[in-house]
Amino acid sequence: MSETIEIADLNLALAYGLLLFPLAIILWYRVPMLGAAAQSVVRMTVQLVFVGLYLQVVFRLDWWWLNVLWLLVMILVADVSVVRGAGLRMRRFAIPLFIALLVGSAVPLLFFVGVILRRPFLLEAQFAIPIGGMILGNCLRADIIVIRNFYEAIRESEKAFLHTLAQGARLAEATRPYMRNATHAALGPTVAMMATVGIVALPGMMTGVILAGADPLTAIKYQIAIMIAIFSGTTLTVALAIWLTMRQSFTAYGTLDTRIFRK
Amino acid sequence: MTETDHPPAVRLDGITLRFGGKTILHQFSLEVAPGQKITLTGRSGSGKTSILRCILGFTVPDEGAVFIDGERLTEASVWSLRAKLAYVAQEPDLGPGTVMEILERPFQYRANRALRKNLDWTPQLFERFMLTRDLINQPVTELSGGEKQRVALISSILLGRRIFLLDEVTSALDRAAKEAVLEYFRPRDDLTVISVSHDTQSFNDRVIDIDITAAGGSLG
Repeated sequence: MSETIEIADLNLALAYGLLLFPLAIILWYRVPMLGAAAQSVVRMTVQLVFVGLYLQVVFRLDWWWLNVLWLLVMILVADVSVVRGAGLRMRRFAIPLFIALLVGSAVPLLFFVGVILRRPFLLEAQFAIPIGGMILGNCLRADIIVIRNFYEAIRESEKAFLHTLAQGARLAEATRPYMRNATHAALGPTVAMMATVGIVALPGMMTGVILAGADPLTAIKYQIAIMIAIFSGTTLTVALAIWLTMRQSFTAYGTLDTRIFRK
Repeated sequence: MTETDHPPAVRLDGITLRFGGKTILHQFSLEVAPGQKITLTGRSGSGKTSILRCILGFTVPDEGAVFIDGERLTEASVWSLRAKLAYVAQEPDLGPGTVMEILERPFQYRANRALRKNLDWTPQLFERFMLTRDLINQPVTELSGGEKQRVALISSILLGRRIFLLDEVTSALDRAAKEAVLEYFRPRDDLTVISVSHDTQSFNDRVIDIDITAAGGSLG
């Protein structure tokens, strides 16, 4: 088993040399994204340097409350991204979506660390933060898709929705087809990823474990466990996201309250 | 029979409705007796469709109350009261699926499950409303406007409703099909109809011009 190979600062600087290709292509074809691409590269660098430094401290201290605080900050940022990404009102959606993200991330994370890895301390920074981050990232993406699809579809097919209510459907019955379609769209990428993993691409966690010096069989065990944890977490968060937001999104008469949309 | 024995099928009591600062209806009242068939008429935007939406609980009036069979429409009662109403829109969006799926779907709802046997009437109703049998397996998206209107109407009839809210329901029908629809309702004393139409010959028990009555009218 090999050790993790450090990247020297100078060598990391050389990595930016690879940006010559996107830069050349963007300029050659005059793709209108030079500013956005440059801004993204800078943001990525600054954010990761900051997070790296911060996590170094967090890992060294390994205080459970600090780890929990960090995870909560991650969930809060994800929460704001979901509400904004779905074009909805922060005041109505921030709290229910925070709960949906928290449960969707925490349940598979605690199971992963406690039951699969058998760690005695569930909130150990080395495991809780990276694994929690991976699950949360997928929950965020899934929640944006499910929330946007669910409410937009009802808004766009208002006549069909009202027709269903007029035919005697309760709210749960009238919303079920929209819930089914939105859930299908939200879970689709995770399901597709599981079907192609290892053939089309080597996933992040497996690559990380291999780079850290573990043998590939250990790496695939981590990968299988994390894929299942992600699938479980996204399903949980998606169901909760709809269920918890419905109460403040429909009138007592079952019609969609269009004031939930920012525009 | 006393008034208590037979409350109005639909009663609107002093309805005021405003949209974006504009008053659509002001203190509008209306009583429709069981079995009565009325037509609401008036210019576009006069609030005809809004009246139907108020009765269905899709629009909550700023003032006033709606009563169905003597029971006030509230947040609690709306779900059971809707099961007494049939609503057919001018351009109905019936959702995805074939005509048969559209007709079967509402029987999956708890409120309608006991009525499933009514689906046996489907062939007779198709014949009555001049629809060919082979339409039953067609996707609803392939139907013409007039066919959709009649499928929506058949769906409501299969659900055994007694109060029909029809919004320009014959607007896309040819003369013969329109007559077939009107002839279904006219002799039925058990069916109440509130129809929105520009055609005052639709259901002529009573014709109410919203333009005249909306600004404080009271019709009993």
